[in-house]
Amino acid sequence: MLFSFDSLTTMFHGIAAGGLALMGLFAALFWLYATRSADGSEGRALDPTPYRAFGVLMVLVAAALWVTVLGGTYIVFPTYRTPPPEGVTALVDYPRAFLLSDVGTAWLHAFAMESKEHMPWIASMLATSVAFVATRERGRLWADRGMRGMTVAVLAVVFGLVSFIALLGVLVNKVAPVQ
Amino acid sequence: MATHREDVPTTSARANGASLAAFLAAGIGSLAMGALVVLNEAGIFPSPSLYGPAGGLSGRSTLAVVVWLVAWAWLHRRWRGREIEARRVYLATLVLAALGLLATFPPLWELL
Repeated sequence: MLFSFDSLTTMFHGIAAGGLALMGLFAALFWLYATRSADGSEGRALDPTPYRAFGVLMVLVAAALWVTVLGGTYIVFPTYRTPPPEGVTALVDYPRAFLLSDVGTAWLHAFAMESKEHMPWIASMLATSVAFVATRERGRLWADRGMRGMTVAVLAVVFGLVSFIALLGVLVNKVAPVQ
Repeated sequence: MATHREDVPTTSARANGASLAAFLAAGIGSLAMGALVVLNEAGIFPSPSLYGPAGGLSGRSTLAVVVWLVAWAWLHRRWRGREIEARRVYLATLVLAALGLLATFPPLWELL
């Protein structure tokens, strides 16, 4: 078979769900930038559609992140960390053991994979808080500069985190693919 | 003449408490995740394995999510319908999230 189940789930985890979240985060940040008040005025009347849509976008982003993190933890990660049977020397089918078997690649587990284990959970919690605020506050998110600024700050942190984690995932999967 | 924009609030009459509760709870959840990682790496509180194939990560992440949701529910109940001074809450959220992220940064554990 060209693609194994493990390979397909890893691609879905990283490219479909993770990629969707990353694109959604960029869209949300760009949108917040594009719809900012150019003259600094607050409390102006706005068409309801944009901030309703922003709420929907953020719910999608948060959902995609949770699918990514749950799939990563409970489907991809167990395959990644499967220990090789005793006596097996060809480690290519055991990504964690394969990476740790060489000094030159050990950092991909010790740094990259260890980062990927925990940081996505933080990104998901933060994104969920923004999704909640975006769906609840709507008009206030546009009128209240402080809340808008906080939303931008949290989204920027989440976007940076997800980008970093995605890059580490690409590096790990390039050297020791789950297959 | 009435327009479709009539129902749009120009400024919200809704109190900000529930939204601030969501932000702060996310910060608390982030710190919980970081603290659980450090406690595990230091050997003080080894993470329980709730799902064998995923190892201790399943325990750490589940506990952090429980802390996050409990904090969110508690804060939401206390702050819902109230107008809260936002600046301090925003600052606390960002500091807690930063500490949580720092604690999940592997080079930090190597110093332990």
